[in-house]
Amino acid sequence: MKLLKLGISGVRGIVGETITPELVINFTSAFGTMLAAGPVLVGRDTRKSGPMIQEAATAALLSTGHEVIDLGICPTPIIQYLVKKNRARGAVSITAGHNSADWNALNFINSDGTYLNEFQGSELLDIYHLNRFSQKSLKKVPRVIHEINPEEFYFAWLKNKLNLEEISRARFKVVVDPCNGAGSKFVDQFFDLLGCELVAVNNDGNGYFPHDPEPRPRNAGEVASLVKATGSNIGFLLNSDVSRVSLVTEEGETLSEEYTFPIVASYYLKNHPGPVVTNLSTSMMINDVARKYKVPVIRTRVGQSAVIQTMIQEGASVAGEGSGGLALRDFHPAFDGFVIMGLVLERMAVEQKKLSELVKELPRYHIVKDKIVCPPHRLHTLVAETRKLYPGEEINSADGLRITRKDVWVHIRASTTEPLIRIIAESSSPNRAQLEVDKVVSFLNRLIG
Amino acid sequence: MRKQLPLKISVSGVRGIVGESLTPQIATRFASAFGTYIGQGQILVGQDSRPSGVMLKKAVLSGLLATGCQPIEVGILPIPTILFLTKEKQAAGAVVITASHNPLDWNGLKFIGPEGLYLKASQVEEFLDIFHQGEFTFVKADRIKPVIQEKKAGELHLQKILNRLKVKTIKNRKFRVVADCANGAGAILLPQFLQELGCEVLFINTEITGSFAHQSEPTPENLKELCRKVKEFKADLGLAQDADADRLALVDEKGRTLGEDLTLTLAVAHVLSKKKGPVAVNLSASMVIEDLARKYQVPVFRTKIGESNVVEKMLETKAVIGGEGNGGVIWPEVHPCRDSFAAAGLVLEFLAESGKTLSELAQGFPKYYMIKDKLSCPSELAFRAVLELRHRYEKETISTLDGLKIIREDSWVHLRPSNTEPIIRLIAESKSAARTRTLIRSFKKELVDIIKKLSL
Repeated sequence: MKLLKLGISGVRGIVGETITPELVINFTSAFGTMLAAGPVLVGRDTRKSGPMIQEAATAALLSTGHEVIDLGICPTPIIQYLVKKNRARGAVSITAGHNSADWNALNFINSDGTYLNEFQGSELLDIYHLNRFSQKSLKKVPRVIHEINPEEFYFAWLKNKLNLEEISRARFKVVVDPCNGAGSKFVDQFFDLLGCELVAVNNDGNGYFPHDPEPRPRNAGEVASLVKATGSNIGFLLNSDVSRVSLVTEEGETLSEEYTFPIVASYYLKNHPGPVVTNLSTSMMINDVARKYKVPVIRTRVGQSAVIQTMIQEGASVAGEGSGGLALRDFHPAFDGFVIMGLVLERMAVEQKKLSELVKELPRYHIVKDKIVCPPHRLHTLVAETRKLYPGEEINSADGLRITRKDVWVHIRASTTEPLIRIIAESSSPNRAQLEVDKVVSFLNRLIG
Repeated sequence: MRKQLPLKISVSGVRGIVGESLTPQIATRFASAFGTYIGQGQILVGQDSRPSGVMLKKAVLSGLLATGCQPIEVGILPIPTILFLTKEKQAAGAVVITASHNPLDWNGLKFIGPEGLYLKASQVEEFLDIFHQGEFTFVKADRIKPVIQEKKAGELHLQKILNRLKVKTIKNRKFRVVADCANGAGAILLPQFLQELGCEVLFINTEITGSFAHQSEPTPENLKELCRKVKEFKADLGLAQDADADRLALVDEKGRTLGEDLTLTLAVAHVLSKKKGPVAVNLSASMVIEDLARKYQVPVFRTKIGESNVVEKMLETKAVIGGEGNGGVIWPEVHPCRDSFAAAGLVLEFLAESGKTLSELAQGFPKYYMIKDKLSCPSELAFRAVLELRHRYEKETISTLDGLKIIREDSWVHLRPSNTEPIIRLIAESKSAARTRTLIRSFKKELVDIIKKLSL
């Protein structure tokens, strides 16, 4: 089975199988054709396939007449920030975020510094499929500019956005695991800025992932034991492009990635009240937080692009997902792990509470996530089939289907990044959520055969 | 004449018009095919000065990386330097982004195999098979290697040549030289080379902007400025490289072009005077080579036209010197390839050791008159016409290695259908200009008659 996922904001696959130099050139040529003339940023995470993809993407941008600003290894949120700073036409971020090391992806960013919206995404695919690119004759040498320390502008900006005084006064000791991804080294600079004592693990940036770069309890064991061993206040686990974070408490408890969003949102909404945007798969914890501040919750399709575009359209205050990524209106429209880590620490400092205490303020739900591998061409029909399990019930079909009952909700959807059907259920009772997931899984397994 | 297609895939690689036919997609496919063919070794990646070079280089790097090769970027360098470095660095091959003397909007890719040798015809066939089939062996993500940057690699090439020359003797002559780099990659290294040899040099056409001041073929018609500058500068000689810096033409101290053939003659005479050994040249090189070989009692091997044919014969026979009559000198002590730097070094050493002027040296060889001509003829007829001629002259001393060469006591004529254009090339040489003209005229007429008869 050849895996290639075309999302609205990019293309993702296994390197050497579907992610080949020619595919990268074709896609990036389509992107270069779509953009007006002007500079385009290119950056990547630490994956070993990164340079291969970056050379191809750069060739395509040069051939479509763009000047290229090469950011080298750079976290996606910093690339997104720099698009606006440099008044670039757009950017390509080469990273597969939470996917394992054999994957990689092209993520296309528009001149606003956000992932392509639905309209831009479909225009990109149209140009790609037409296979007609505006290739230039290049009678003058096209420029490739190597930006040295591009993160300095970003950190100078971020410094003014956070309450550095309060954070540094608290003299936090933090453990961080960037999984040898794009966050490596950058975290040294960041926590230095915040006046924290840093215990970093997997911070070589060599692209060898000691575990899958997905911030979730399963991968947080190393961080948890280091938090306890060093008596740290908190532990952070990052994905490979610093767009998602999961947390570990001072007691060494590895928190579900679902906690990151409500913990930051309930602090931020206090001073910046406004609607909250999240996807259909995210925990009800955020609804309880929103209720506290009397603000509405808008549920969208899954994905950074969907929730952030809705945040912009609705003038929402925060947008986030249960996977540990979130964006804030007064920061920038990007899932940003540095902003997240900064605000969690700021909240702990300002409210003078431990992370475990912040967790206790949230209602306790039980969320169960499962997935079924499924041939790509059957994904959507199989998801639709599960309707039969819920005859006569009200169904939200914005993204797969989501059924909300009094005691439980369940969301069944095709992944946009992998050939999987994801099944997520949540309830205040652990057995109830598991029961609902099991019901769907066994139904689907029978269909797949 | 057939109109030139915008994309040309041939034995020497691929060429096309950037933005029209030569796209990053084609470049990366060729690089992926080459990486698949060569296997996962180190591959040098060089380029000439064309503005589209950077874009194509990036596409090539991606294709090489994806197939598990480790690219070594060497930047803008002359072709002989890249061939030399491929061997010196024990690389598995090289890709050069160049379209030699084609117009600015063209570019291309040249492929070099292990040992720094051009791929043989059979190897090119295998490689192109992979390209056409489009099935490449991409490696898994964890097998992708990093790119290596080598910015000063060219000096190794110069050092290798200088180590084989009597540098002190050359320096003592304090030569005054005018050098014409034809706006090619030679300008990267020639200044340093001539400085190490203590020459006082006036350079012309050294800007490597990718646009050429004159046609890069170092033929007398293209060297008018050089001849004038040699006289003005009161130089001992003028050196003219072509755009790839593999060929060298000479201008004497009186500002006269010496004919490309003489570069090879001087190199052969000088090397044989120091080291006896076989010589290999192509069928069209001057018969003065045989005179020199007779003097030193060494054998001469004649080969088909084409640099790789001469190189192959030289390696097989352990030749000490060889090359082509077009100014392409091959000195295998440096590297088995046409090399204008090696040629310039040998000529300067010859001048220094003999104490003579270049015009005096040139006069020291038997004088022959060579004429090169061509005749338009459809490709399919060209081969039959030459074959017919072969039957008529079978009784004479002939060579059928490449077309037909008829060799007489003190003259020869070589008739060869071109592989790339619908023409027959005629070359003749004898001891008098009049006789050479007569030879060309009579064979041309005979060919025209045959073609007429064949096309009836």
